[in-house]
Formats: sequence, C-alpha cells, structure tokens
Amino acid sequence: MTAVIIAGFLIPIPDIPILQQSARNLFFHVPMWFTMTVLFLIGLFYSIRYLNDQTLDMDLKAVSANAVGVVFGICGLFTGSLWARFTWGTWWTFSEPKMNMSAMALMIYVAYFVLRSAFNDPDKRAKMSAVYNVFAASTIPFLIYIIPRQLPSLHPGASGNPAFSDMTAPVMRFVFYPAIIGFIGLAIWMRDILLRYMKLRSATENTI
Amino acid sequence: MTLTAFILQQDAAQAVDTLGKAADTKWKALSQMPQSTTIIQDMASHDLIFIVLGVTLIIWLILLFFIIRVDRKVSQLEEKQNQTEFQNQESPL
Repeated sequence: MTAVIIAGFLIPIPDIPILQQSARNLFFHVPMWFTMTVLFLIGLFYSIRYLNDQTLDMDLKAVSANAVGVVFGICGLFTGSLWARFTWGTWWTFSEPKMNMSAMALMIYVAYFVLRSAFNDPDKRAKMSAVYNVFAASTIPFLIYIIPRQLPSLHPGASGNPAFSDMTAPVMRFVFYPAIIGFIGLAIWMRDILLRYMKLRSATENTI
Repeated sequence: MTLTAFILQQDAAQAVDTLGKAADTKWKALSQMPQSTTIIQDMASHDLIFIVLGVTLIIWLILLFFIIRVDRKVSQLEEKQNQTEFQNQESPL
C-alpha cells in the first residue's frame, strides 16, 4: 500500500504536460473527492452495522471514517478553489453548482460532529449520530453526483461519466488511477490510526 | 399585449434564474491577470505549474495538520496513562 502511495506522488513528475501544466491537478484534486466518497461510504456501512448490533466499536469505526472523510473534503474544496482562481478567474462563484453543493455536503457532515458533541452519554450519542449519518450519507450522491450534472457548469465532467470521458487523456490515466488508489489507501491508513486512538481513549476513560 | 407580457415574464424568469446557466462559457482567468496583484501574476507564469505546487501543498499541509493533531492527542493519553500507573504504584505503600 505504501508503494502505491509513493507512486501516486512520484509518477506525476515525468508525465507530459497537457494544454497547461495545471492539468496535473487532476492527480491531486479529483482523488480527494473519490477518497471522501469512499470514506463516507465506510462511515455509512458502520453506522448501519451499529444500528444492527449496538456495539460502541461500530460507532467509533463510523466516526473515524467520517472524520477523515471531512479532512479530505476540505482538501478538495481548497484545492478546487485555488485551481478555480487561475482557470475561471475567481476563488468562488455561486453559479457553479459543483462547488456549492460540495460545500453544502461538507456542512452536513460538520453538523454530524456538532450533533455528537451535544451528548455526554456514549450510547445515546452513538445511536443519534448513527441515525443522522444514514441521512447525511444519503444526501451525498444527490449533492455531489446528481444535481451538478443536471445543471450547466464550467466544471469539467459535469455531464456523462467524468472518470471515463475523453477529457481524461489516456496518458494521464496511468497516473490518475494509481493516484486514486494511493489516496484511498492513505486515507484508510489515517482512519485506522484515528480509530486506534479512539478505542484507546474510550478504554482509558472506562478504567479511570 | 398579452404576448409582450408573456415575453417580459419570461425575461424576468431568466434574470432570476442564476443557476440555469454557467457564469461564463469561457475560462477567462488568463485575460484578467494583468489587473491582479503581482503574486497572482507570478503564480500564473510558467504554464500554471505553481498552481499544481499550491494544490499539493494545501493537501500536504492539511493532512500534516491532521496527523499532528492526532499525535498530540495520543501524547495526552500517554501522559494520563503514566500518571495513573504512577498512582497505582504508590497506592500499595
């Protein structure tokens, strides 16, 4: 997995430039959103499992996945903003559906953590946040993948399937796909570290 | 009369509808560059390669921040653990 991550970072350098050099951002900006979606899916999976068997372990797994997902979402938003400044001429525009919908999706997930902080009882907190997370995760495909494609936009990949359309040159795919796998691997590793920390914390809180 | 009213209504609807069309059909950032600050002009040079640098730096800094935060939390936990172990050792005496 580490080898894949290293490759995701190293291969872009010898790659040929297309149009403008900023096309290389494809390797960094786009995988952020892929990774975020994967992590939110993991979060959804564990939330549903928590609702099934009510073990706090599942709750921690869901929370750690969502936390890392939000981190990657913020990365994607900021990199997109910087990229937009130099290709579209503005940091932020409200006529761009993809930008605003993804910001909205992130706010829904920030609300998830606000909701969690409102409960002191771990069982109650786990149950409420699991129910909320099922709602939050169900909004993601609509906010990020459906609505932006219904509206005209400057954002590439607004219609059809962005990952497999002709805007992705064949040369770039050799780097693009490992980059996606690399970032997802990195994210899963980060989530694992966070999860181990959370388990330790809950264990020590119980003993002290 | 009714036709003009209808057209007016349509125009109004189009004016209100900001999401119905994209901000512009062209990417016009490069034409705007001369008016912007020197930093932004410098970044737009060399075929926008600095944007790639900026994007990777943003990702790296955010991930680094996240990892450092987790690291701090773990150290706090370790400190707590050491303190309780210390108390446990003292208590039998």
